Amino acid sequence: MYNTYSTVRRLWATPLLTCVLLLASSLTAVAIGPAVLDVSGRVTDTGGEPLIGVTVRVKSTTAGTVTDLDGLYALSVDATDTLLFSYTGFATQEVAVSGRSSIDVVLEADAATLDEVVVVGYGTVKKSDLTGAVSSVKSEEITAYPTASAEQALQGRAAGVQITANNGAPGAGFRVRVRGGTSINASSDPIFVVDGFVGASLPPPEDIASIEVLKDASATAIYGSRGANGVIMVTTKRGQAGQTRIELNSSYTLQNEINRLELLNADQFAAYQSEINPDFEQGDSDTDWQDLIFRRGAVQNYQLGISGGSDNVRYYLSGTYFQQEGVIVNSDYERFSVTSNIDITASERLNVGLNLLAKRENTNSVATQETGSVIGVAYRFEPDVGIRDAQGRYTLARISDRFNNAVALTNEPRDQDNVDQFRGSIYGNYQLLPGLDLRSTFNASTNNGRNGFFSPRTLNPDAGINGSGRVRNSRNMSLLTETYLTYTRDFSASNLTLLAGYSYQRETSEFFVVGNRNFVTDAGYFFNLGGGSEPTIPNSGRSESDISSYIGRINYSLNDRYLFTLTGRYDGTSVFSEGNKWAIFPSGAVAWNMAREPFMEDSGLFSNFKWRVSYGLTGNRAIGPYSTLARFDDVFTVQNGTIVNAVAPTAVANNDLTWETTSQLDIGVDIGILEGRINLTADYYSMETYDLLFALPLPEYSGYSTLLSNIGRVGNKGVELSIDTRNLVGAFRWNTNLNISTNKNEILELPEGNDIFYNSGPGHIVGLGNTQVLRVGEPVGVFFGFQYDGVYQQGDDIIPGGSFDTEPGGERYADISGDGMLNSDDRIIIGNPHPDFIFGITNEFAYRNFDLNLFLQGSQGNDIYSYTLLELDLLAGLNNATTAALDRWTPSNTNTNVPAAQGGRSRRSSSRFVYDGSYVRLKNVALGYSLPAVVLDRFGLSRLRVYLSAQNLLTFTDYEGYDPEVGYRSGGGSSGNQNVGLDYASYPNVKGFTVGVNVGF
Amino acid sequence: MKFSYYLLVLCLLGGVNSCSDLEEDPVGLLAPESFFRTPADVETATLGIYAWLASESVYGRKLTLSLQLRSDMCDIGDRNTPGRRQNVNDFEMGADNGMTSAFWPGLYRMIGSANAVIDGATQVEDSPAVQASVGEARFLRAYAYYHLVRLFGDIPYIDFFITDPVAIGSIEKTPAAEVYANIIADLEAAKASLPDSQPGGIRTRPTRGTAAAYLASVHMTLGQWQAAYDEATFVIANRDAFGYRLMDDFADLFKARIADGLAEHIFAVDFLGNESGGGGQNVDWMGPVTGIRQVSTADAPNGGWSVSVPSMLVYTTWDDRDYRKEVSFIDSAVVDGVYSGFEKFAPNHGSPRPHMAKFFEFCGNNRGDCGFSDNNYVAMRYAEILLIAAEAGAEVGAPAGEVVGYINEVRERARFGSDFPADVEPSISGSELIDLIMEERRLELAFEFKRWYDIKRRNLGDEVFKGPSSLEPHPNFDSGRDYLMPIPQDELDRNANLAPQNPGY
Repeated sequence: MYNTYSTVRRLWATPLLTCVLLLASSLTAVAIGPAVLDVSGRVTDTGGEPLIGVTVRVKSTTAGTVTDLDGLYALSVDATDTLLFSYTGFATQEVAVSGRSSIDVVLEADAATLDEVVVVGYGTVKKSDLTGAVSSVKSEEITAYPTASAEQALQGRAAGVQITANNGAPGAGFRVRVRGGTSINASSDPIFVVDGFVGASLPPPEDIASIEVLKDASATAIYGSRGANGVIMVTTKRGQAGQTRIELNSSYTLQNEINRLELLNADQFAAYQSEINPDFEQGDSDTDWQDLIFRRGAVQNYQLGISGGSDNVRYYLSGTYFQQEGVIVNSDYERFSVTSNIDITASERLNVGLNLLAKRENTNSVATQETGSVIGVAYRFEPDVGIRDAQGRYTLARISDRFNNAVALTNEPRDQDNVDQFRGSIYGNYQLLPGLDLRSTFNASTNNGRNGFFSPRTLNPDAGINGSGRVRNSRNMSLLTETYLTYTRDFSASNLTLLAGYSYQRETSEFFVVGNRNFVTDAGYFFNLGGGSEPTIPNSGRSESDISSYIGRINYSLNDRYLFTLTGRYDGTSVFSEGNKWAIFPSGAVAWNMAREPFMEDSGLFSNFKWRVSYGLTGNRAIGPYSTLARFDDVFTVQNGTIVNAVAPTAVANNDLTWETTSQLDIGVDIGILEGRINLTADYYSMETYDLLFALPLPEYSGYSTLLSNIGRVGNKGVELSIDTRNLVGAFRWNTNLNISTNKNEILELPEGNDIFYNSGPGHIVGLGNTQVLRVGEPVGVFFGFQYDGVYQQGDDIIPGGSFDTEPGGERYADISGDGMLNSDDRIIIGNPHPDFIFGITNEFAYRNFDLNLFLQGSQGNDIYSYTLLELDLLAGLNNATTAALDRWTPSNTNTNVPAAQGGRSRRSSSRFVYDGSYVRLKNVALGYSLPAVVLDRFGLSRLRVYLSAQNLLTFTDYEGYDPEVGYRSGGGSSGNQNVGLDYASYPNVKGFTVGVNVGF
Repeated sequence: MKFSYYLLVLCLLGGVNSCSDLEEDPVGLLAPESFFRTPADVETATLGIYAWLASESVYGRKLTLSLQLRSDMCDIGDRNTPGRRQNVNDFEMGADNGMTSAFWPGLYRMIGSANAVIDGATQVEDSPAVQASVGEARFLRAYAYYHLVRLFGDIPYIDFFITDPVAIGSIEKTPAAEVYANIIADLEAAKASLPDSQPGGIRTRPTRGTAAAYLASVHMTLGQWQAAYDEATFVIANRDAFGYRLMDDFADLFKARIADGLAEHIFAVDFLGNESGGGGQNVDWMGPVTGIRQVSTADAPNGGWSVSVPSMLVYTTWDDRDYRKEVSFIDSAVVDGVYSGFEKFAPNHGSPRPHMAKFFEFCGNNRGDCGFSDNNYVAMRYAEILLIAAEAGAEVGAPAGEVVGYINEVRERARFGSDFPADVEPSISGSELIDLIMEERRLELAFEFKRWYDIKRRNLGDEVFKGPSSLEPHPNFDSGRDYLMPIPQDELDRNANLAPQNPGY
């Protein structure tokens, strides 16, 4: 039965014969072809240990099997066939059957994974020929645990790449930095290139074959004006000629919020309030608001992929479904996607292909990280009131602003996003002459989103207007066409590759927003805006930007030892003024493959020893269209009760605006020792970004707030180390990957050397003053404020100052300027959000059919500024507080740093709310079991693995907030650079427990 | 030959768009250099100035609340309110005060927009309509500087459209006297080019009468009594042409639903209920900050916030027979479903006293607590012109009958059919008359953002904050420091040439 089946499958792959032979196969299948032979044997490593799961394939066919627990295999072949034995980390062997029925094979560890092919811009290179700093992340790492997006999966996987969640909400984005932030006001986000599509969004993690992170100028200069922040090259899976592969991956995860804050209960709260307001009347409830908004979350993740094809047509088809119920009530996310990648060998000289991706994302959100954050409100709302009052209405805060309680804010509003993305690329590759290829691609993507928001009459601020709703629609389109020639020629002792091409990209976006109020009923949400009677003013807009580029690259290698790369891109963009539209971004690199020198080859110790040096310029044009133009905007003016047309100046022109340019030197070394058992890559880099695109705060008496300018310089220097070791090979395998990176970010120059102060706190935390500063010699985004010196005790000398505490138990700040009073001169830098180093460690263990994966990730030496704790623990009676308030100063509890409860205390930006944010986190631990081949065969499966995994199981930190892995206002361009290490009422990150299965047919 | 063949192929395959000129075509955006083509464009840009005036940072709260709290007529109610407000009230301001850091840029945005109009008008063929718009812009520029110079003293003075903001980054302050001279020049120009009335008789845009009224006010502030008298009496003499008269019922001045085009209004700032633009435009919070916590009124079922609340003495020292007291205060309302006296107001919020009614009780369409109200805030009204005429007349020795006549016109309307307050006798004179006029201003214009400027220009601080009959004692009031507010620290940080900071900060 098995043999027949197998043979039929072989025949399937021979298209010309298939139709005819299928008819006959049921009768005569076994009889087809030359003499059939049963061959078996054992596959071991050089130490004699059996190798499990080695793929044994008949060359030029799809027939094959894998070795079992004892390294044994058995296969029916033709006596003249050749067998291919392949196994990850080992060199593939070809063995001719030559009529033998028993063939034992010893596989040798691959000298290094040197001849892996690495995807770089506009081509691929052998890893051994690479002159740039490139980190690769494998597909298994990207899907080690279920993630909504591949950014999340990259966290901790590549040296020099720092990834933090902007917010823990389902579907929320991530802040990605490659070798630190090169900018202050322009975006420091890297550019994503997906199968050659520049600026594309990431495909679902399951469809990704590999991710390469291009880091130094040698690698990134080919992307010119968009290369300064690194390039993340994503290659999706493609079909291989041969056996049809069907893969089904599925997992289910249970999630809980990673932590909670300890808050005062009703009695403790009332005692605290009474110290400020003796007339305070305690309510009759004791409500744990966090308990009411959190729930158990769940994630379901499915992927079905089918790939295969013939020598002429190869395909990869995949569908994914990801669905997450957030840990806060009424928040969820789901994603559907369909991917189709097709490659066609149309003729000997012409290859064409088509990539398609269709994706839908639906998100239901609750407000977080803002004034109406359900988390922030759950923290600060009074615990002595219940969810509803005697009349059945949601309760409102009494003691300060009358905001809604957290349950109302969680349950009542609707905030829903639907995003449809469609992306298609076609390419043609034509061999003009031997060695000369012309490749042309055309890529288009559209991204259409709809946000609907509805706030019903049950929420207090809208009680007077009977509900408000709005719909915002946006359409974004990107068109990219690229054509390039590649010429490759091998000389006797050298290789030459030349690349020249042209690229043109246009991006357009449009939006409109409409809204209404005073609805007949809340029941229609935003789906019936016509049901309201007080429309808000509609709005719409459009923007477009073009980028036009010429690219060129020369790769030359001599004696396989000396490698040279020269790259240049000449970019022009519409977003700058005349005369500043075009710029060239060149880079050059040399590498010396020392291991191939005779004196090294003899030692045999090093399988690889390559030095790399590169230098180049890359750019950042990440400003919005029309940023150089002076502008009048529509403003809202009322005359005699009527809205009238009115405009006012809102931006001044800047015709001198030009690119940010980053120069980067990289010195690196790749070392392979003990036949590749140890692979080490180390890089030192030094970057300087000049002509920073910067929203310079203008004197407010100018009537403008900011002006985009080219000012100042920022530097980033760092060291990256990545070590892969195969500690144990054989039956018990143990691999370790460690990556660790440091980055020192420093502002080198600001206009006229002036400090630039800013405040990133949420709008309702008023009176804080500036909380951060940009200062020459300091990193971007350091915290700024007063130095907290504990509390005043009875009899202490009080340092006078406007609205500072003057009573015993009051907050005491250091008089830095020494003038005997407290004022704004006493503010200093009180924290640095940038880590000393970040790291990720993966340990993989495999024994027989079991695999175990431990992934630790962490950050050391970074500070966190908590607006959350600043708000809660001000102890001015404005809101609930954390249990730290129990240790507040009173005449009988004086040995404390927590000030007394005191109404009217002003908020101060101070070191009191700056914390060490270092942490080490067990990001993922996964235990898998693969069913043995004998069992699989019975069900016609090629692979069945079940696994259990736990994410964020353990965290080691001293941070007093709920989670050290924070991001607040860290999404988007400028705010992502300037707002680092801030914490305010974020959607919590989660702990998850996953059970999953991977099936291959 | 071969190479050019490849180039051709490249070009063909490189896409139809390869010849893009990379020019920007910003559909839907307006550029200053091409915006001004017709007189209507100049007017549209002029109307833009009001967006900053009727915004949260100026008339919607930050400026107006600061002016209230700074005076002896409005104290902090709920002491849980943010410290920046208490600091203004308590004479404990720091240079990083959150009120000044909001209304300083707010007022300068008005000035920047006005300068854009005055500059842009030069691109359009001159006409009376263009001149009227320029006059309106100069009026609004003077209006903004008039607040700034009184609050901060010496200030940066900009009277041109800024195309290179960096170039002005190191300018020095202009002395207050020079700023006043420029304000007067602007108002004179406005008076020369503005019409006698705006279309439809609306009061939210200035006329010749508005410019004259503000000239009277500026001269009064400077103690230029003759000029103040001349301008005030000019307004009074031409009141019919300008359409000014006192409302019969004092209460009609403070009802949002009938506030448009009131004959007594000389200049009003209009907010439209439940609407808002970007950047705080048309956002009004004065209703809730002056309203009562946990009290329900017809227009504000959710109550207000009890932030700015007159001290008890303001209420108790005001004669009960004065109809204006009844209009100006709410002293009873529905608390927790029960109609109660002010003793029950704002439980848990430390202000069981009468609250001001002018901007809260009849705030019109709003979001339930008078937020986003429909109020029209009166910046100048005919009653004040009468009192300026009286005060300036007294100072320049105008006939006694004329001087008290102006006051009595105000008092007659205030009586509203009763016999209180009685007419002032012509026999009263000298400082007694001046004191009486100041007292009349305090009551007639109560809570209308005038009192602090009166205290400052008459140097009454020590008396009203430290004297025996102080309504709102502040023993720490320092006349060497507190008549000026500190310039925002951010501005000093950005431009060191703005030093020195005002004394005492």
